[in-house]
Amino acid sequence: MSNARSMTTWLRLIALALVALVALACGGGGTATAPAQQQPAQQPAQQQPAQQAPAAKGPVEIRVAWWGSQDRHDRTIKAIELFMKKNPDIKVTYEFAVWDDYWTKMTTQAAGNSLPDVMQQDYAYIDEWFKRGLLAPLDDYVSSGAINLKDASEEFYKGGRVQGKLVAINLGSNSPSFGLDVDAFKKAGIAIPSDNWTWPEFEKIATDLHTKLGIWGFGHDLANDQMWKSIYFSAGEWAYTDDGKKIGYASDKILVDYLNMILRLQKAGVTPSRAEAQATYVGKPVEQLAIVTGKSAMDFFHSNQIIAVWKAAGENRNIKMVALPRQPGGKSANYIKPSQFFSVTSQSKQKEAAAKFIDFITNDVEANEILAAERGVPISSKVRDALKPKLGKAQVEMFDYVDRVAKDVQPIKPPDPAGHTDIVKNIWGPQVVDQVLFEKTTPEKAAALLRDEATKILAK
Amino acid sequence: MASAGRPAVSQAPVVGTGTIGQRRGFRHDNLTGYLFIAPWLIGFFAFTLIPMIASLYFSFTEYSVLSSPRWIGLDNFVRMFTQDARYWNSVRATFTYVFTAVPLRLIFALAVAMLLNTKHRGVSLYRAAYYAPSIVGGSVAVAVMWRQIFGTEGVVNAVTHVFGIPSVTWLGDPATAIWTLVTLAVWQFGSPMLIFLAGLKQIPQELYEAAAMDGATPWSRFTSITLPMLSPVIFFNLVMQIISGFMVFTQAFIVTGGAPLDTTLFYALYLYRRAFETFQMGYASAMAWVMLLVIAFFTAIVFKSSSYWVFYDNKEGE
Repeated sequence: MSNARSMTTWLRLIALALVALVALACGGGGTATAPAQQQPAQQPAQQQPAQQAPAAKGPVEIRVAWWGSQDRHDRTIKAIELFMKKNPDIKVTYEFAVWDDYWTKMTTQAAGNSLPDVMQQDYAYIDEWFKRGLLAPLDDYVSSGAINLKDASEEFYKGGRVQGKLVAINLGSNSPSFGLDVDAFKKAGIAIPSDNWTWPEFEKIATDLHTKLGIWGFGHDLANDQMWKSIYFSAGEWAYTDDGKKIGYASDKILVDYLNMILRLQKAGVTPSRAEAQATYVGKPVEQLAIVTGKSAMDFFHSNQIIAVWKAAGENRNIKMVALPRQPGGKSANYIKPSQFFSVTSQSKQKEAAAKFIDFITNDVEANEILAAERGVPISSKVRDALKPKLGKAQVEMFDYVDRVAKDVQPIKPPDPAGHTDIVKNIWGPQVVDQVLFEKTTPEKAAALLRDEATKILAK
Repeated sequence: MASAGRPAVSQAPVVGTGTIGQRRGFRHDNLTGYLFIAPWLIGFFAFTLIPMIASLYFSFTEYSVLSSPRWIGLDNFVRMFTQDARYWNSVRATFTYVFTAVPLRLIFALAVAMLLNTKHRGVSLYRAAYYAPSIVGGSVAVAVMWRQIFGTEGVVNAVTHVFGIPSVTWLGDPATAIWTLVTLAVWQFGSPMLIFLAGLKQIPQELYEAAAMDGATPWSRFTSITLPMLSPVIFFNLVMQIISGFMVFTQAFIVTGGAPLDTTLFYALYLYRRAFETFQMGYASAMAWVMLLVIAFFTAIVFKSSSYWVFYDNKEGE
């Protein structure tokens, strides 16, 4: 009997504690009621931005979040300060992180219904995030002129459409590239390769650079998962099928050949050993690439990242970008991609102000002078024209590179399937690249394992 | 814990047949007590019990945070034990760490505690100096510093270079990476050292004096007096260190990131990666529950074995 009684006491206590908790949760900050995942995924379009109250009398507060390097943080914060000066009725708070941490943070906030008003988005994620009801469609703001896209051609922002809705505004266009230290090439007496160079040509040039200069011909990142896609892209295939349900290439041979090439380069000391890469370079921001300190003559990065790379390397250096090498006789391994977007989240309570901020970043010339096209070539032609006479060396190279490769690129493939992160983090990195480059397995076995494991993940 | 229930049992008939008024009085008394511990209770429910129950449920689901959990029964556990090569890498790394770092740290802590237990001028200064590393020990800053020290162009390589030893990629070489973390663990010996020091001070000096009279060597004084008298403290330290050893995270997260070849992919780090990088919360929850069982198992072994080697001064006190 006493047990029964103490049981009821406990139950009452638990109930009491729960009530207290709920009261606390509701009282604190007045967060919205429905958790993100309960919103009907099929009807994100029905959240009507028009119903938002017009900007309140007091200062409105919005929160902006992005990922990136230190250079981007500095520039974005300055642009935000300018925005607040020009819009005294809107207060902007912000948070930033590097890529991995950013998505950890955002996903957690999405679950906790506390997403920022404006979040930076990526081509790989907008599809899933919109379908889960986390992004607000922006078409109404565009038609009302709140977000002015009149100076941007459709080509530049259509990448932000999901299911016919514009859910993300492209902040700049980019393309993957190999960055070359021009001075090192001159010193070694090697001609700068053309944009249609091939992998065998690459291997020879990298090796020559190493033997003539004693530095690495290429940095640590030849085994980036982007390369896995690119080597097949050049051969007219892709890592995944268009529906993202299977591996998209028929034969492992291209991958096996590629891994063998990396092994040769690593053994000859043309690239850092995998141990050196793991100890010093993997997972670090682009400011810490080997080319920055002059330890390598070439490195891999996306075209917009040249702004940060060159800044870290120093103004007196000379860096040039060329397209990714092709398969002999193959097509271009490049595509033009929206490098990143700004989206208004569906959890935002200040969608008007958030839209205003995105419009400012897209169209304000002064802001873009601060941002300096570090997120890629801006989509507004007015902004581009205004920037051109004021461009630094790095921006000139970036504009020039994107213009040049755009003439020969292949159209971009669909966004990565949902299992892509799992495949890269748990299979490609640790079980393919590491195992091969530490010589614990053969490229043939690793490529077969990648196919098996990725097929399993994609089938889910 | 169990003894607290006994008086209640004997009172049970009384309470059961008592009047309503009596019951109210009883509850009122308790309520005051519960109110006093309410802050703790709320914290316990909000941050421990409810999350634990949620995690137990999630461990049987597939849950990607952005979508609702989907019940999949034992699939997570099956996948963990039979299909995930990295899982076993993480188990191997964690066991290697626990079975080397924990004993080494305890031995080192005891040695330093004994040094600091001697009567010398300025010994309290040394005590403070040696304890300092563990105050900052768990912090990110120390891990970042460790990264610099063992980096390819770090202090260690600079020193060995002077002696003509070629530089080693300590953090990138599968043969050395985990040992940099074990070294870090041993270096953070401060808190067990402090507990040892307190224990050493409790040992009556007469025992040593009597032994010295009988001509006992320093070694036999150590094995026959210090170790047995200190065994309850060793026991406590061992249990605490085993538990924290299995949960090691920060060091690997910052210094090596689990690389190379998963040799430093500690269990907690892998769990974190699954939970927050690939957002497989269900799988990560399942991993957490397995870890709980493993830690409970090893703690139980230490407890069971304690009757053979832990010596309590006053046996009747048990």
